[in-house]
Amino acid sequence: MKLEVVRARAERFGGIVEVARPRALLHVDREMMRELGQPHSPLWDSAAPDDAPLVAPTEVHVVLSRRCAAGCTGCYVDATPAGAALSLEEARRILDELAAMGVFHVALGGGEALELDYLFEVAAHARAVGITPNLTTSGLGLGAREAERCRVFGQINVSVDGVGEGYRRARGFDGFAHAERALRLLRAVKEEVGVNCVVSRSSFDGLTDVARLVRRLRLNELELLRFKPVGRGARLGEELTPDQGRRIYPLARRLMLRHRIRVKLDCSFAPMVFWHRPSARAAAFWGVQGCVAGDVLAAVAPEGHLTGCSFAGPPEADARVPGAARAAWSQGFASFRSFVRSAPEPCASCEYLRLCRGGCRAVAEAHGAFSAPDPGCPRVQEWTARTAGRGQVAGGGSFALPVVRG
Amino acid sequence: MIFRKGRVLRATFGCNPNSSSLGVDVTFLLFGAIFASALALMLGALLRRPRTP
Repeated sequence: MKLEVVRARAERFGGIVEVARPRALLHVDREMMRELGQPHSPLWDSAAPDDAPLVAPTEVHVVLSRRCAAGCTGCYVDATPAGAALSLEEARRILDELAAMGVFHVALGGGEALELDYLFEVAAHARAVGITPNLTTSGLGLGAREAERCRVFGQINVSVDGVGEGYRRARGFDGFAHAERALRLLRAVKEEVGVNCVVSRSSFDGLTDVARLVRRLRLNELELLRFKPVGRGARLGEELTPDQGRRIYPLARRLMLRHRIRVKLDCSFAPMVFWHRPSARAAAFWGVQGCVAGDVLAAVAPEGHLTGCSFAGPPEADARVPGAARAAWSQGFASFRSFVRSAPEPCASCEYLRLCRGGCRAVAEAHGAFSAPDPGCPRVQEWTARTAGRGQVAGGGSFALPVVRG
Repeated sequence: MIFRKGRVLRATFGCNPNSSSLGVDVTFLLFGAIFASALALMLGALLRRPRTP
């Protein structure tokens, strides 16, 4: 067996190569890039600074629209049936630019991307320019014909925040049967089909049911996404309790072992994982990181705004303008990129700082301070309790006390 | 002269369809640093391997 390199791009440390089987992105050093016959890059002429961002994101989340008829109570993008959307031409232009920058993957979403009659044309264009398109969908309205056309995507995840009544409680409407049907239809045509499950205070206890569903339908992954208090979700008071925050990583491991499924936790869960002190070397090798916005990740909003993440951060450019995304990437995103260098306590003294990067900026911003440590981090909560107990002022005034409810 | 072989520094498997990128693959993190080092060597060897006709 040989791993075939289908795409590669140079980085300061060497490069990133994409292999198709198994589908993976491998960071390799300069020597390996040379061994693989990649051309010399000027990036290799000087020493690689430890904290330099990638020369381009590896993945961009393209929020194609804020258009969706489902009306979920916690929708992050505040989607409505008549929400804004990128046109097909705009989406194509943006994909052209991302491809020229060396982006490997796009995550297409919304809103409900399947409501756009040009979704499959967008996906085909991504393929044509060498980018793997992936999709998140509620599955509402997906029939056999649409499922067949979904072969164009890489990974497709259907949002299932609970099973049966648990779905209705989490999303505010009774859509579980539609989601399950969509999963079956998709699984009949491709293997890379999984479930996205938003883990909130009230959905936490139903995760075992969702894991069973993933196993029963022979899906390839369960991705657990931390509830974030943004969009309509800001009004719900559904953030995890401190106890749930401590339990999520052991629970994810248990679900994986008991149901023999692949379980992933999104980047905002990083502080809850690192609190359990996993091997830092292993975490670095597997790309386990906290906020990767403005480094590994960028996002494009339906209005064209290029941001570090689809949940937080200032617009850095209008991605619809040719050349704007590339220019912004080389100079912008300071609010995300500067966190590690200027981290306040208790992040500053945390051995996982370079991996965790202070947790989720979207959650921190929702609690009042974009550059504060993530208030859902167990270490932050412990430190705050200790310093409050000693009557000290936390974080030199820049860090508000955690407002995690519960 | 010592010829230093190139190395695989990081591996992420699969594609991410979500707005929140990458995150933690619990499946792989269960295995420790020794497994990661061994896999890095294996991936390096498979990358270098000559194409079979």
